[in-house]
Order: sequence, then structure tokens, then C-alpha cells
Amino acid sequence: MTKDFDDTNIADFEAKDTAKKLPLGWLILFWGLIFWGIYYFAMYSPSISGWTQEKAYEESLTK
Amino acid sequence: MSDYQYDHQTVKGFIVSSIFWGVVGIVVGLWISIQLWRPELNIPPFFTYGRLRVVHTNGLAFGLGIGAIFGLSYYIVMRLTKRPLLFPKLARFHLYLFNAAIALAAVSLFMGMNQSLEYAELEWPLDIGVVILWVIFAINVFGTIIKRKEEQMYISLWYIIATVIAVAVLYIVNNLSIPAGLFKSYHLYAGVNSANVEWWYGHNAVGFIFTTPILAMFYYFLPKSTGLPIFSHRLSIIAFWSLVFAYLWTGAHHLVYTPLPDWIQTLGIVFTLFLIAPSWGSVVNGYYTVGSDWSKMQTNYLTKFFIMGITFYGLQTVQGPTQAIRVVSSLIHYTDWVPGHVHMGTMGWVTMTTAASIYYVIPKIYNTEIYSIKVANTHFWLVLIGQLMFSITMWITGIQQGALWKAVNPDGSLKYTFMEGLAKNYPFWQLRTVAGLIFTIGMLFFIYNIYMTMRKGKALAASRA
Repeated sequence: MTKDFDDTNIADFEAKDTAKKLPLGWLILFWGLIFWGIYYFAMYSPSISGWTQEKAYEESLTK
Repeated sequence: MSDYQYDHQTVKGFIVSSIFWGVVGIVVGLWISIQLWRPELNIPPFFTYGRLRVVHTNGLAFGLGIGAIFGLSYYIVMRLTKRPLLFPKLARFHLYLFNAAIALAAVSLFMGMNQSLEYAELEWPLDIGVVILWVIFAINVFGTIIKRKEEQMYISLWYIIATVIAVAVLYIVNNLSIPAGLFKSYHLYAGVNSANVEWWYGHNAVGFIFTTPILAMFYYFLPKSTGLPIFSHRLSIIAFWSLVFAYLWTGAHHLVYTPLPDWIQTLGIVFTLFLIAPSWGSVVNGYYTVGSDWSKMQTNYLTKFFIMGITFYGLQTVQGPTQAIRVVSSLIHYTDWVPGHVHMGTMGWVTMTTAASIYYVIPKIYNTEIYSIKVANTHFWLVLIGQLMFSITMWITGIQQGALWKAVNPDGSLKYTFMEGLAKNYPFWQLRTVAGLIFTIGMLFFIYNIYMTMRKGKALAASRA
């Protein structure tokens, strides 16, 4: 069995080929959520888009 | 090895204590689940639903959860710093104080003392005790890390450091209150501010008790059990920093459609959705780690605990953010969907991962093997079935409740009375008790296995001496 981080340096117990890898799908998720967050914040902030939960509620009553 | 013997006794003490409080919490949980469909099981004044429920949540989050976190964090810190704890006697005192605090907490909750803040029910004298406990923990963890004999800091240490700092800040800020006598106090903040601070705390209790210390265990014990190094060190670090950064902004998702200013709700929702990325960073890392050799699922009995645990963590961290979205929140908030969600996290992720870590640590401390892999496998399947049944029944009844409450006649009046909605819950509540029973039996297999391993270890040590 290979030595792990108790009996060697932690750096020696690394998946050498992949230790610095960031999966592409995960990166897309990461940045996608950041950009979506900026968009969503703008859309649902009263001082930016004018949306408020009171207005949304009143609109739902007229439907 | 003898350098560690005293500290290992402390670690073991925390594990045994946490299991003890776990039994109390689970039994009370079963009891209150029956109370919901058999009200005569409420025995006033001490054993009514209102008092027992907080004993259940506090007993399991702080007794089982924090107890195991203290013990296993000490263990991980020693291993990764390659030295015994800096203050062994202080850690032992910490163990005694912990048990005294949990016992007093249980008594005070039975007596009905309650700050009326979720997960922060304990009154102010006990809060001071908890802060002292936490400071002791911090001194030992930081002291040992500063004096470490291994320069590089593995990811688990970062998660433990985040736990220590974040819980300290959250606990103190939310528990600031004005005492009105020894057993009564008023929150320092009023109205909407009180709610906002409370849920900033409440949600981060999930973040820094049910997430970061459990990830510390996951990142340490998964490689230890399987012999497989973590897939990507970089991914683990980026996921860590983005997780701790984002978590602290998310509490407002508990207050969607309340008088809390719209923009704060929106900000909370945005950060909550973002949290999927760092959470899934750990999920992906776990899958890829075991993915380098899937045969470990068969050859090492603990692998499936960790993989199933991280799977429920992954599901939990998609379901949670989904619940934060306004339209979803308006349907399922205040319904039984929410306990369904919480229990997938606590029974599926936290308890699964913690139990697997204890399975690893106890034989190590006694320098022996686990008593029975068969019993561990039985434990695994029972808690898995129990937890799935629990969550699924609660999701169904939660959606049903939400839909019934929202249904209106053309003139705007409610279509269903409260009682009509309530009656429809009974079959699901009864099923939930059955699910809880299956889970409890699974946990009894776990406790039996640990007890027998310790007995075996003691006999072994006696024969060696």
C-alpha cells in the first residue's frame, strides 16, 4: 500500500496528475452561477429594476 | 504511539459522549414523531411537543453533532500536524465541561427555558458556558496547528479552522441579549433585525456545524479509508474559500416574502444559489477520488458510507438552493417539506459521514479491526432506507400541505380548512415514524458494533500488557 499523509509529507500523497485540475463542467457551473447571480440581483432589487414583492403580489391578484 | 494515548482517550470520550446524546436525541425524535399523530403522548408540562422538539434538535445538533466534531477534529488535527494536542489536560477538561453543558441544556429545555430563537434556544447563562467551551476548543486547535510538525496544511485543517472561527462569531452575535433575570432574556435586536440576525446564525449553523467540520472528516477519512489521494487539491481549496465566503450571506433565504427588505432577500437567494458550485466542488472531488478505483466500493466497507454521504450532500445542496427561489419557497415554506430537507442532510450526509469516521477511528485507537463488517453493512442499509423513507414522505406531505393552503375559491376564500389539511398529514406522519424506527434500528447496529470493537480492543490491550 502507498504511504499516505500520516507517514509521509502531505505533498507526497497527492494525485500528482490531477492535483491542480479543475473540471471544465464545474468551472462552467461556478462562473455561470456568478453571472446568473448578478443578473438575478439586478432583476429583483427594487432600486435597480423597480420590482418589489408588494407589486408582484398585487399583480398576482389581478390575474 | 504512546505520546498520543492520553489524547486518544479524550477523543474516545467525545465519541462515546456524542453517541450517548445521540441516543437521547433520537429517542426524543421518535417520541415527537408519534406525538404528531397521537396527541395523548404529550405529557405536560415537561414532555410536550414544544419542549421535546428543542431537546431533539439541540440534543442531536449539539450533543451528537458537536460532540463528534470535537472528538474527530482533535483526532484529525493531531494526525495532520503530526503531534499530540498542545494542551492535553485542557482537552480532557473540555470533554467534562461539554457533557455538563449538554446535560444542563437538556434540563433547561425540559423546564421550558427558551430564548425563542431557533437553534439558539439556550438561555444566557448556558450561552456563556458554550462560549467558554468553544474558546477552549479554539485554543487547543489553533495552538496545536501553530506548533505543528508538518509544514503543509491539508484541506481538512482549513475546514476545521473555518468551523472554529465562524461558529464563534455566529454564536456570540446571535446570542447577544439583555438578561431579565437568571433564566430569561430578550434578544438585543428587535423585529425584522432580530429575524435577520437569527437566520444569519440559523443557516450558518447548518453551514459551519453540518457542513465544514463534516467536510473536514470527509477529506481526511475518505483517503485514509481507501488509500486514494483526493482527486484535486486545487479544487478542494477553491471550493473551500468560495464556500466559506458565500455561506455567510445566505441566511435571508429563510425570510423570503417577509417584511425583510426585498434586496436583502434577493441577495440571500443569489448567494444561496451560488453555493451549489463550492458544494459540488467537494461532491465532484469525492466522486473523482473514488472514480480512480471504483473497486474500493467492494473492497472497503467504509467507501460506500462516504460516497453515499457525499451524494446526499450533493442532493441537499441542490434542493436547498432550489427552496430559496421565491416561487418554490412560497409553496413549501412552513410545510413538512422542510423537515424532509433537513433530515436528508442530517441523517444522510452528517450522520453517515460521522459514523464512517468513527468506524475508522475507534479501531485505530485500540490498534485493532472493526468488530463486524457485516453489522456495519446492515447499519448502512437500514439508515439509508430509513432516511430515504423519512425524507420522501415529508416531501410528499409538504407539497400537499402547501397546495392545500394555497388553494382558493373564485371569491378568494380558502378552499380547505386547516383541519382538512391536517387530517391529510396523518398517514404520512405515521409512515415517518416507521422510517424513524428503521433508522433508529440501523443506529443501534452501529452502536453495538462500536461497543463490541471497544470491548475487543480492551481485551487485546489487557492481553498485550
